[in-house]
Amino acid sequence: MTKLIVDGIEVDVPAEFTLLQACEQAGKEIPRFCYHERLSIAGNCRMCLVEVKGGPPKPTASCAMSVRDLRPGPNGEPPVVLTNSPMVKKAREGVMEFILINHPLDCPICDQGGECDLQDQAMAYGVDSSRFAENKHAVTDKYIGPLVKTSMNRCIHCTRCVRFTAEIAGTSDMGAIGRGEDMEITTYLQTAMTSELSGNIADICPVGALLPKPQNFRARPWELNKTPGVDVMDAVGSNIRIDTRGREVMRILPRVNDAVNEEWISDKTRQVVDGLKRQRLDRPYVRENGKLRPASWTEAFAAIAARAKTVAPEKIGALAGDLVSVEEMFALKQLVEALGSRNMDCRQDGAKLHPQFGRASWLFNTTIAGIEQADALLIVGSNPRREAPVLNARIRKRWRAGNFAIGLIGEKADLTYDYAYFGAGPESIAEFVSKTPKDIARPMILVGQGALTRPDGAVVLAALAKAAHDIGAIKDGWNGFNVLHTAAARVGGLDIGFTPGEGGHCATAMSNGGVDLLFNLGADEIDVAPGAYVVYIGTHGDRGAHRADVILPGAAYPEMSGLYVNTEGRVQRSDRAAFPPGDAREGWAIFRALSDALGRKLPFDSLGELRAALVAAHPHFGHVDEIAPADAGSIKDLAALGGAFDKAPFGHVVSDFYLTNPIARASAVMAECSAVAAGGYKQAAE
Amino acid sequence: MIWLQRFFSWWQGGTWNTFWHTRRHGELVGHDEFGNAYYRTRGGKIHPDLGFERRWVIYKGESEGSSTPTGWFGWLHHIVDTPPTDENYQPREWQKPFRANQTGTPNAWRPQGSLYRSGQRPAATGDYEAWTPGS
Repeated sequence: MTKLIVDGIEVDVPAEFTLLQACEQAGKEIPRFCYHERLSIAGNCRMCLVEVKGGPPKPTASCAMSVRDLRPGPNGEPPVVLTNSPMVKKAREGVMEFILINHPLDCPICDQGGECDLQDQAMAYGVDSSRFAENKHAVTDKYIGPLVKTSMNRCIHCTRCVRFTAEIAGTSDMGAIGRGEDMEITTYLQTAMTSELSGNIADICPVGALLPKPQNFRARPWELNKTPGVDVMDAVGSNIRIDTRGREVMRILPRVNDAVNEEWISDKTRQVVDGLKRQRLDRPYVRENGKLRPASWTEAFAAIAARAKTVAPEKIGALAGDLVSVEEMFALKQLVEALGSRNMDCRQDGAKLHPQFGRASWLFNTTIAGIEQADALLIVGSNPRREAPVLNARIRKRWRAGNFAIGLIGEKADLTYDYAYFGAGPESIAEFVSKTPKDIARPMILVGQGALTRPDGAVVLAALAKAAHDIGAIKDGWNGFNVLHTAAARVGGLDIGFTPGEGGHCATAMSNGGVDLLFNLGADEIDVAPGAYVVYIGTHGDRGAHRADVILPGAAYPEMSGLYVNTEGRVQRSDRAAFPPGDAREGWAIFRALSDALGRKLPFDSLGELRAALVAAHPHFGHVDEIAPADAGSIKDLAALGGAFDKAPFGHVVSDFYLTNPIARASAVMAECSAVAAGGYKQAAE
Repeated sequence: MIWLQRFFSWWQGGTWNTFWHTRRHGELVGHDEFGNAYYRTRGGKIHPDLGFERRWVIYKGESEGSSTPTGWFGWLHHIVDTPPTDENYQPREWQKPFRANQTGTPNAWRPQGSLYRSGQRPAATGDYEAWTPGS
């Protein structure tokens, strides 16, 4: 720790702190454009100038100067830093004047207006007029993909976007060409960015040079209502801010949560918003004479009740999809149990995870933040870049820190970091164990759904649990056995036991004629064979709705308050930002009303009562934003299971990152992204 | 019925007072395309207080001030002294025919987005596309 005095306030900070961090510790605000906490230091905007006593007789860029480089005073007194001296103010005003020389006066027509760093800081350090009579430089706008619009006249060359793509995203899509005033930020050949995190560069851009293209000229930041939410596009549970205007979700931005998504979200999370406006189910439908016709809620319930009377309880089943909240699944489970059935499944992809193996067998036990403590990682049957881009960025962050060996079993892919390839199928697990040194302090195994959705998934899971034991991944204070999910609802469903009970049918059996009456809660990735009477409760007209005999319109994730459990077992609550369209209702309310029509009234009348019942049954749901650690002992039992596996190579579960769920498939922006990716990110026709 | 209207209303071609004043002192100058009749003091007599001749109009049908066409408006307001009937003015091909103020009539101007314009609500925030079953 090093002592220094900032504006008369003595602070004690670690020696590796920069002056900027030390000043913030003292409660002083330092203006900055190029400096970003999660990126490397560039020091090229010069806005963070401070005065250092005893240093050179000129202002110092505080972001690039380390505390340990300061000299103490002549009698050993702590170094003195001034952030509000006349010299500092004059220096910053000079920097601001230089930046504004080539920055257009676009604020009234710029989407960044109102949330612009340059606008804000010009209020403090700008002068009221310009001494620059010459022409401002003009830079042609670049095509960098369907998600980010460029307006390059506004660029102040902070290079945050270049550093983000190189360091966080790991794709090195962007760079700078030219020098000085002629420097231009570009993707060189004007190809689309290849990263799944590319939307974040619009967030970190301190000016309006990079803006989200789909939200172009649609809203001003001050007319939006901001609601904290949780993302459901993947199982990471990224914390998001849902911005709405009236009833419409205008955009989705990340919220900072260092334990989950830091401050990044994937492109699908961010730009799926227009999918919330298309293909929406806004009224109940009932199939009559082979055709779906609009109906009232009463008619729909009557049709279901009439059918339920003719079906034996063991022929009733329930499926839960990937995007639903825990409350919806809990209400459906209560309803199906009240009807006397044990046929229910939340694993529509057929993953062989089951509560009988213990909670540790389906969690990302190391936790996402725990990746940074790991020493080695084996990825099995997963492409984290497609399945969870934000988590992949965390792996890359650990890899960049050095001394992190990564192995892969499964399909080869560009994961944005180097890895050793062990093989394609489960027989490579033994080879991996034999080759792995036993003295790694904190090894991790990351099991993807590609390894678990196979018919022999349970055997592979057991073999990997055994491998985790053999390489010492499970020990006191460290659980290196991790399952990476792709569905936001999966962990919550397994946590509440939305799986077949004694003698119950699994998803595959139910969809292939195992049941006569099937409640399908938003499961769109599974084909239900003809024969069963399907009640679809969902939000979008996707596969499930086309197969349905009765459609009950539900609420999408921004339109209801719900609990979600991410892949590491963290319970998170999302607030309601908008309202469901038309006659659509929140899922739990549909099941409560339906239970009345079926004569099996569920014991709750409000979401609060439902949550109380949920917490009574599963106490860990009472601890929002926390992870209830799972008992690692169950992994040992799982490892003892053994069995013979198939030699087939591991497949992938996410073939098109942009089109994994009904909301994304309804989105025109995601369709464009998918087309650009399929076309090899070539330049768009102009 | 015109005589009864002239007793009780001034907004249908003037009152009896106007009629008799026009008969005694007025001189018809001409008619515009709507049938409105334009008068001046007989023989161009100078009004002693005003210092110029008086000019007036008796509307055909409802007295709508804006239904005076541009040429007659100029003559009526002493901007020009030659009435349009004595002139041989040929409008350009881009000049539209004169129309009286249409406010309050079905032909009134409706701005973009007005329900009266298209009969349909324009797109607004919060709109969504509902799914309809194909089969």
